[in-house]
Amino acid sequence: MPTPAKTGSILAAALALPGVVPSAQAQVTVPNATLIQFKYLYYKDYQENNGVTPGSSGDRMTVKSPALYLLAPISDSWVFEIGAVYDNITGASPYYHTVLSGASGEGVEDKRLAGDITVTKYFGRTAVSVRGAYSTEDDYRSIAGGFTLRHATPDQNTTFTIGIGYSSDDVFPQDGPVFTRTKNTLDGIAGITQVLSRNDVGQVNLYYANQSGYLTDPYKAIYGVDQRPDSRDQFALLVRWNHYFQSLNATLRSSYRYYHDDWEVDANTFTAEWGQELPEGFTLTPSARYTTQSAAFFYYDPVYDATLGAPFPPGYATNPNAFYTSDQRLSAFGGITLGVKLAKVFAEGWSVDGKAEYYEQRGDWRIGGDGSPGLQAFKAQLYQVGVNKKF
Amino acid sequence: MASHGEVRVYAPDETTARGWSDAAIAEVRRIETKYSRYRDDSVTTAINRAAGGGAISVDAETASLLDFAAELHAQSDGAFDLTSGVLRRAWDFKTGRVPAQTALDQLLPRVGWSKIEWHSPTLRLRAEMEIDFGGIGKEYAADRAAAVIVDVGGLHGLVNLGGDVRVIGPHADGQAWRIAVQDPRGEPGTTIAYLNVPHGAMATSGDYERYFEHEGRRYSHLLDPRTGWPVEHWRSVSVVAPLAIAAGACSTVAMLKPVDDALQFLQAQRVRYLAIDCAGRQYSM
Repeated sequence: MPTPAKTGSILAAALALPGVVPSAQAQVTVPNATLIQFKYLYYKDYQENNGVTPGSSGDRMTVKSPALYLLAPISDSWVFEIGAVYDNITGASPYYHTVLSGASGEGVEDKRLAGDITVTKYFGRTAVSVRGAYSTEDDYRSIAGGFTLRHATPDQNTTFTIGIGYSSDDVFPQDGPVFTRTKNTLDGIAGITQVLSRNDVGQVNLYYANQSGYLTDPYKAIYGVDQRPDSRDQFALLVRWNHYFQSLNATLRSSYRYYHDDWEVDANTFTAEWGQELPEGFTLTPSARYTTQSAAFFYYDPVYDATLGAPFPPGYATNPNAFYTSDQRLSAFGGITLGVKLAKVFAEGWSVDGKAEYYEQRGDWRIGGDGSPGLQAFKAQLYQVGVNKKF
Repeated sequence: MASHGEVRVYAPDETTARGWSDAAIAEVRRIETKYSRYRDDSVTTAINRAAGGGAISVDAETASLLDFAAELHAQSDGAFDLTSGVLRRAWDFKTGRVPAQTALDQLLPRVGWSKIEWHSPTLRLRAEMEIDFGGIGKEYAADRAAAVIVDVGGLHGLVNLGGDVRVIGPHADGQAWRIAVQDPRGEPGTTIAYLNVPHGAMATSGDYERYFEHEGRRYSHLLDPRTGWPVEHWRSVSVVAPLAIAAGACSTVAMLKPVDDALQFLQAQRVRYLAIDCAGRQYSM
């Protein structure tokens, strides 16, 4: 009884051979295999108890998040992608600076369910994708859509990407005064990916986003002081370079990202990853990232108004309608992420991977200016496991 | 590789063209040296010499080729088999003698991919077994050589190793390469058809490459490793596929299958083909 031949299986097997296609290619090509991917993420962030600020210790947020992703080529030129993710978020976020909501009340528990669908049509070396996404949680609802165009030159060495997206998010806090506010985001990307040599690929991407509407954190606004401008223009430049070391069977992936917004947050991020191929189908990838950013112009340090006391910033009484935030993410800091990922490819399209990351952020780790004083180090751990199957 | 080789490339000037083709030829020579079963210092010889002993560990490139061979063996229901070379001991195409069944029966226990212990990167062959990369080495070399030229900037040209062609890119004016298909019953060099190949590769297997006739019957070098006898379903199968190694594998496997099975197989592989059966009927897509 002959084995029924799998479609295109011999070419797929041949493509696994080394060096039979020019090594580095910025191709626009139709995926020819169905991929199912399951990932489970565990994340927690925390700040050490230094015993100085009351109620400022311990764990912050914990996220447990299973996700499912399916990529299915349904003909020679149409590809469908569907993703679904469920987040269970527990813990407490600070009301202001490092003073926890959980310390003075209960921690939060939130469940987020999100799904997205992307449909891509290939016209030779050009691909057009349309994406729709929906996300819902107890106090938040987001609907988003986008459009991306990719085009490769005839030699497949250069790929151009442009994309545009729009999202509309509603926030309706469950705690305190009841209201619904809307935030809209319009974003765009333009990029070029260039094969530089047999072993080198470079990429430059430009991002722009405009957020408008209610950009304040509602819980920080209710229990602390959080008043943000109702628009934010964000700009980023990403430069990436991947180099394959043939003699070592390893790839160095490095990138630099510059970010600027009109809230005066300027960030510089450097990332390096070393993807080492090992025997038996293993790949081990250690990674490191450093980011340094300036504070938003309306971030205030944990020094409070002499009359009103915490959480009010100095001068609040005479200027209550100005912009204020105590959000650590908008402070000035330096942050380091160290990670390691181990992946193994098995026969018949199966592969598994696991990764662990540790992140630490401190005011005095900033380079190129002073960090925000008076905040405890913010730390996070991330663990993720994945199982993938290709047909 | 005991066959004719050719590199054709459009380049800005002659020096560049020479440099590119030299790099491609060097890559072909590297593969030939590494995998020739006629060389004492080749990987193939080292593997065969270790047959009957312990497992040996192979390098990453050889491991990839063995993985590919294992996949082809599975996809062809055992028709494609790197270990079938042992059968040449019974089939002498120079003298043209039909071997006795007993001679084949003695060799068949030494043939069969499934008798090999292959756990990448370790390989163990039973005593008196042999492998050779003759069935895929030439096409692999054509792909690697073409990739070398693309990597240094070549856009238009082809690499032809004994009729297995990997196109680097179309002619400089964008025209496809017209690749001739040998008439399997004509004089060498007579053409039965042309296939237009702007990108990708074309490979042909035929019963005319090595054969002898005995009492009106043609015995070709295409031996079924499961029986030890030549197959007679096809005169030739030419396949156009994105890679020479895929085209070569498809044409070789199709040659070993009966007409209906072979056509079904080629269609499932989504390749273009021109196949001529034992009665001279042509099938193409």
